[in-house]
Amino acid sequence: MWIFLRRRLLTSAISLVGVIIVVFFLARLTGSPANLYLPESATQEQIDEFNRLNGLDQPLLVQFWNFLVGAVRLDFGDSIWQRRPALDVALAAMPPTLTLAGIALGLSLVIAIIAGSIAAVYRFRFPDRAISVTTLTISSIPDFWFALVGILVFAVQLRLLPTSGYSTASAWILPTATVMLAPIGVLTQVVRGAMIDALGAGYVQNARARGFGTARLVARHALRNASLPIVSVAGDRAAGMVNGSIIVGSVFAFPGIGTVILGAVLNRDFAVIQASVFVVGVGVILVNIAVDAIYALIDPRVRVGAGKGK
Amino acid sequence: MNDRIRRFALAALAVTSATALLAGCAGGDASGSEAQDRSLRIVLATEPVSLDPCDTQDAANAQILRANVLESLTRIDAQTGEVVPLLAEEWEASDDNKTWTFTLKEGVTFHDGAVFDAEAAATAVNRVLNTDIGCGNGTTDQFPYPVTTTVIDENTLQLTSEQPDGIFPLRMTYIDLASPNTPTDAKTDDPIGTGPFELGEVVSGESITLTPFADYWGEAPEATEVTYLYRTEPTVRASMITTGEADLAVPISAADATDDGLTKEYSDNRVFFLRTQTNKPPFNDPRVREAVHYAIDRETIVGALMERSGLPYDQLVAPTVNAYLEGYEGPGFDPDKATELLDEAAADGVAVDTTIELVTRPDLFPGSDEVMQSIAQNLTDVGFSVQLRSLDTDAWLQLLRKPFPPEQVPNIIAISHDNISGDASFTFPKYVASTGTNSTLENSEIDALIAEAETKSGDERAELYQEASKLLYDEEFTLVPIALQTKLLRLAPGIDYEPNGLTGVELRISDITFTG
Repeated sequence: MWIFLRRRLLTSAISLVGVIIVVFFLARLTGSPANLYLPESATQEQIDEFNRLNGLDQPLLVQFWNFLVGAVRLDFGDSIWQRRPALDVALAAMPPTLTLAGIALGLSLVIAIIAGSIAAVYRFRFPDRAISVTTLTISSIPDFWFALVGILVFAVQLRLLPTSGYSTASAWILPTATVMLAPIGVLTQVVRGAMIDALGAGYVQNARARGFGTARLVARHALRNASLPIVSVAGDRAAGMVNGSIIVGSVFAFPGIGTVILGAVLNRDFAVIQASVFVVGVGVILVNIAVDAIYALIDPRVRVGAGKGK
Repeated sequence: MNDRIRRFALAALAVTSATALLAGCAGGDASGSEAQDRSLRIVLATEPVSLDPCDTQDAANAQILRANVLESLTRIDAQTGEVVPLLAEEWEASDDNKTWTFTLKEGVTFHDGAVFDAEAAATAVNRVLNTDIGCGNGTTDQFPYPVTTTVIDENTLQLTSEQPDGIFPLRMTYIDLASPNTPTDAKTDDPIGTGPFELGEVVSGESITLTPFADYWGEAPEATEVTYLYRTEPTVRASMITTGEADLAVPISAADATDDGLTKEYSDNRVFFLRTQTNKPPFNDPRVREAVHYAIDRETIVGALMERSGLPYDQLVAPTVNAYLEGYEGPGFDPDKATELLDEAAADGVAVDTTIELVTRPDLFPGSDEVMQSIAQNLTDVGFSVQLRSLDTDAWLQLLRKPFPPEQVPNIIAISHDNISGDASFTFPKYVASTGTNSTLENSEIDALIAEAETKSGDERAELYQEASKLLYDEEFTLVPIALQTKLLRLAPGIDYEPNGLTGVELRISDITFTG
């Protein structure tokens, strides 16, 4: 297993370096920050001075080398916009993003497991159809629409929730629901499919024959076997959520890495783009490793397989 | 089967009620507190980028700090556009308009207890003008000539401009004075000024709180605490007033405006205009440029598409700017006249059928793309061959600024320009003078008037700019004014505030009153 994890870490690190390099050059294709930061009437001398101060006057390859040297020491340079280390800007945005992702994913999983299991037990009958239609409809709702309508209904009309913000617990409800929209449908379908397979397996049939009730069968026997595909899809969703949500940031003023990246791109804040991509990349790698570890815990075959490779 | 469905329905009902209950419990405190404690919650579009006293050229920074935390020697009276005293009692210019002597107000202290005197003022001015810490204020846009400071006595400060400068007191409105204990070799995020409020808690990404300064020299504002929040989405800002989460939302969009007197319009002295080229056919013929003026149906376009966000307009600057021509009426909508002018030009061999580009950018103002499409239609109707191009800011800037390379397709570019200073020197040298970075005009008569105005002050200066305006509007036709832009804000019941031309950059808490 450790060999497997080490190999996984190494390949992930290689792709992270690749992504960071691509982002370095792509960001610079979007144009010069000088036009945005200097007044409209800036003279060529002022533009040159700005570029010199920010190291943008050097040849691209020299800039790239400086960037690499800094990146090895985790120094991505300072944000032009906020005038503080870019890595600090990116790291400060991660706690709210990760907390929101954790809560949203946890709740989505609970709902998906309950709904998916019910659908599997009542396969092709009314509850199954109702659950599938409902969860797929939920997943098809555009998140920006849901966010704005959510504010109009729950904050403006019903006065149950605040419109936005994130300092009170109630302010987290709409952002969490918005982030949960997409995963619920997919996860429910995955749970349903895996559960149908598991419930059809011989050992479950056997247990049923021995008189176990449906609830016990699902919870004690089938769920554990069904959990492998669920974990891998949930892991995939988690990796997506680590990127943060731009809608949640802009509509609910919920701080997070998505908002930081969008702001950095619009402000041509190259250092912050690079630092954020690095932080998100590390986050995705950690999620993937966690998924692998959970796999190993759930399924002894993974552990045994890796052990043989020693 | 029926039994199963019933059980399923019951389970579903249980889950739904539990969720609703949870939402209800958590939402119990969402209705917000009453404004009786005289605390104010103001929701803005963006968070300030910098809290340094020398970065208040940026509207997001200035809207919170200027006039509330920080004060300057002089300020602009938003109603008249005139420069009036603030921390200076009075001032006097030398005959050549180079040396300006300011007599400072006595009995003023900074929030940290430091005394405001000539020495402190000089330190603050030098921090902005004569250090290399990258201040947003004090750039060559605001101060074209180097300035030296001399302390004459405790309450007299002399400032000398290298060149004659007729609007020096106006320029001093840009220098917010920081305590002498502010670091002069680095930026700070702790602005210490002389204003009625001190900076309180700052929660990055969420809020900034201001608390009253007990030793303020002037009249204490009614508000006892101010909290600023930021919401990007205009609908959310407006909703926060409805739900009682905020007392003032600025700005809001026309779609969220109410007719109950709590939505107020204000001009931020911003004019939306078009600029034609002059250096290549067909725009090198003034008749073609004049035809553009007659072709556009401002009343209909602005009335229908800009609703409460603009008024049809004929001039380059707002009425508070000294180049404004009282009673001037521009060429109205007359498509026949436009076609006639184009035909005349064509008969003289001008290539009026050359394809021209109408250049804009999507964020020029909300809904600007629809406005530009209508303008393109107007131009096509009178005989122009128009291609509409909507570019991102960076690409748009490259077409706005000189140089204009010969291979460039002839274009008309859409511009939205504000001048809150009241002085045309923040518009004309850039957009009208032939040396201006954003100017396509080459008129030596206008250049001479602008250059002369630079050295004069008061009425004399205004008259020179107005003369330049007349020549620009009657003979050159390079700039085509479309609308005087307006913005909207929304107040909660019990709060009163009259917005003005400076609201976008100077939201004075002292001007906000409680009626409830």
